[in-house]
Amino acid sequence: MLAANMRRPLAVLLWIAVAALGATAFAVLALVRGETISAAWILAAGVASYAIAYRFYSRFLALRVFGLDDRRATPAERLNNGRDFVPTNRWVLYGHHFAAIAGAGPLIGPMLAAQFGFLPGTLWLVAGVVLGGAVQDFTILVLSMRRDGKSLGQMAKEEVNPLAGMAAMIAILAIMVILLAVLALVVVNALKQSPWGLFIIACTIPIALLMGWWMKTLRPGHVLEASAIGIVLLLAALVAGRWVSLDPTWARWFTWSGVGLTWAMVGYGFLASVLPVWLLLSPRDYLSTFLKIGTVLTLAVAIVLTLPPIRLPAVTRFVDGTGPVFAGKVFPFAFITIACGAISGFHALVASGTSPKMITRESDARLLGYGGMLMESFVGLMAIIAAATLEPGVYFAMNVPAATLGPTAAAAAQTIAHWGFTLHPGQMEALAREMGEATLFSRTGGAPSLAVGMASILGGVVRGSGLALWYHFAIMFEALFILTTVDAGTRVGRFMLQELAGHVWKPFGRTSWYPGVALASAVIVAGWGYFLYQGVVDPLGGINSLWPLFGIANQLLAAVALCVGTTILIKMGRAAYAWVTLVPLVWLATVTLTAGWQKVFSADPRLGFLAHARAVAAGPAVAHADRLIFNDRLDAALALAFMAVVVVVIVASAREWWMVLTRRKPAAVHEAAYVESMYAVGD
Amino acid sequence: MRPSSGRPAGSARAALRAALAAVRQIVGAPDYERYLAHHAACHPGEGRPPLSPRQYYAEFVTRRFGAGGPSRCC
Repeated sequence: MLAANMRRPLAVLLWIAVAALGATAFAVLALVRGETISAAWILAAGVASYAIAYRFYSRFLALRVFGLDDRRATPAERLNNGRDFVPTNRWVLYGHHFAAIAGAGPLIGPMLAAQFGFLPGTLWLVAGVVLGGAVQDFTILVLSMRRDGKSLGQMAKEEVNPLAGMAAMIAILAIMVILLAVLALVVVNALKQSPWGLFIIACTIPIALLMGWWMKTLRPGHVLEASAIGIVLLLAALVAGRWVSLDPTWARWFTWSGVGLTWAMVGYGFLASVLPVWLLLSPRDYLSTFLKIGTVLTLAVAIVLTLPPIRLPAVTRFVDGTGPVFAGKVFPFAFITIACGAISGFHALVASGTSPKMITRESDARLLGYGGMLMESFVGLMAIIAAATLEPGVYFAMNVPAATLGPTAAAAAQTIAHWGFTLHPGQMEALAREMGEATLFSRTGGAPSLAVGMASILGGVVRGSGLALWYHFAIMFEALFILTTVDAGTRVGRFMLQELAGHVWKPFGRTSWYPGVALASAVIVAGWGYFLYQGVVDPLGGINSLWPLFGIANQLLAAVALCVGTTILIKMGRAAYAWVTLVPLVWLATVTLTAGWQKVFSADPRLGFLAHARAVAAGPAVAHADRLIFNDRLDAALALAFMAVVVVVIVASAREWWMVLTRRKPAAVHEAAYVESMYAVGD
Repeated sequence: MRPSSGRPAGSARAALRAALAAVRQIVGAPDYERYLAHHAACHPGEGRPPLSPRQYYAEFVTRRFGAGGPSRCC
C-alpha cells in the first residue's frame, strides 16, 4: 500500500481546498449586499458541501453506523428472479433511483421560498440534505435492503408496533390526497388561459395511447423505440403549439378556465386509475422519465455554462412573516415550503420500494441513498438559481395572487414599489409577449416563474432559439411529470384504500372486482379533486393554504421514517449512534409541529386557518363566505390530524426505545438471515 | 449470475447493446433478452418454455405498474 501512503498528503490537501472553497462561497453568499453576484457562488457552496458530506459523513454512516458488509449477500443476489430482484450496476441503479425520487417538489418549493431571498433556501437545501434528507434516504434504504425490500409501513409495524404501522399507512393515504391536489393545482395554474401549454399537454394523451399500442401489440416490449417516437411527437407538438396559440379559432379551443381544467384533470385521473396500465399509465411514465432525466441534465449543463447573475436579494424583508406569496415567518415556514429538496418523507417510500431489491453489494447503498438525495438537493439549488435570475419585481408580479397585487398593471407596479422592488411600465407585457403567453401577472404556483427562469437560462445557451419555445418546453416538462405523479398517485391511493377497506368488507379488497375498483378510484379522485377545486376558486389563489399543508404533511412523513430508523438503530445495538437519525427527527418534529400549530391557531387571519374563518365570518359579506369558512375549518382539522398521527408514532417509538434501553424488552430486529455473498469471493 | 451491465464490451455493437440495456434499467423498461438469459440459467431442464415476448411484456407491465407503478415522488 505504498502508493496509497504517498497519495494521502495530496488527498488531505485536496479536501482542505474543497472545504476552503465551500467556506468562501458561503461567506460571499451571506455577506453580499446590494451588488449582483454570479450563480457560481451558489453552485460552489452546494457542490463543495456535498463532496465533503459524501466523502466523510456518508462513509461514517456506512461503516460505523450501519456496518455495511460486502461479504453479506444482498436480496438482489439471494432472491435474483430476473424481475424485481436483479443485481444492477450501481451507476445504472443510481439513475433509476434518482428518476424515482425526483419530482416537482424540489423545483416548486425553493421557487416559492425565494420570497425570503435566496439565502434561507440555499442554506436549508444544503444543510438539510447533508444532515437530514440524505441520512433519511440512506437509512431507510439500508434497513429495507436488510429486510428483503420491505416497505416503510411494514417496517413500522414489525419494528415499532402495529399501531405505528397503521398510523403510518393512514398518514401516507391522507398525505397522498393533499400532494395530488397541490400538484394538480400547480398544473392548472400553469395551463389556464395558455392555449400553447394546454395543446402540448392534450397531445400527450394520443401520444401515450399510440405508444401503449406500439409496446403491447405492434412491437411487444420495445419501450425505447416507442419512447423515441413519443419524444419526437412531443417536440413536434411543442413547436405546433405556437401556431395553435396564434390562430384565433384554435386558440379559443385550447383556452380553458381554471375550473374547466379542474374537471378535465379529475376525469383524466379517474380514467387513468381504472383503465389498463399498458394503455395510458405506463407510456406516460416512460415519456416523463426520459424528459425528466434529459431536462435536469440539460439545465445543469446550461447553468454551469452561463453562470447567470443573481438578481434576488440574499434576504428580503418578508422573513418577518408579511410575505405576499405565502404567509408565515422564515422559521418555520421556509423549511416547510422547501420540503422535498432538503428532506422528503416520500423518498422513504421509494427507498423501501424497488431500489433496495436491485442493489448488488451492500456498500452500493451509500451512493444510492446518500448520493441520490444529494442530487435531488442540487435540483433544488437549480430552482433557486432560476428564481434568483428573475428581476425581483417580476418574481413577485408572477407569484403573488391578484387579490393582493391589484387589478391593473399600474396597481401591481405600485404594490411592488411599496415592497421596495421595481416593475417598469410595460415590463410584464413585454415579458408575456416574449414568452408567448397572454399575461404573466399572478401566475401563482411556481411553475410559470420557474419556466421563465429556465427559459432565460436555456435560451442563453442556444442563442436566437426563441424564449417562447423554451418557456413552453419548461411548462411541458413540469406539467408532464406532475401529471404522471397524479396518474400513479391516484392508482396507488386506490390500491391502499382497497386494502384498508378490505379489512372491513372482504370483496372490496379484491383489486379485480370492478365495482370496488371504480368506487375506490372515485373516492380518491373526489378527495384530491375537492381540494383542487377549492384551491382554484380560492380568491387568495389556493397555493397559500395548500402548499404549507402539503409541506407539513411531507415533513411529518419524514419524521415517521426517522422514528422507524431510530428505533431499528437502537434495536441493532447502535444506540450510541442513534443521534444520526434522532437529531434530524427532533428538528423536523419541532419545525412541523410549530408550523402546524401556527397554521391552525395563529391569530393572524393571513396565517391561521381558524383566524381566517373568524375574519370571513365577521368581515363584510363576500361571495361563498360559508364555503370559505368550511374549508378553513377542514384545513385546520386536517393539519391537526397530521400532527396527531405523528405524535402517536413518536410516542410509540419513544416507548419502544425506553423498553429496549432499560432491557425490559429484548433488542430483537427482524433482519433477513446472513448469507455469504458469492460476489465477494476472489475480490 | 453477475450483474447484467458492466461486462467488457468486445465491439462497438456490444457496447451499444450494453448502453441500451443500461438505459432500459434506468427507466425501468422490460428487457426480454435478460429474461431469456435468466430463464436459461435458473430454470434449466424444467421443461417449461420461456414466455413469448408478448406474454413477457404483459406480465411485466402488470407487475411494474399494476398497483400504480413505482411510487412517483412529489
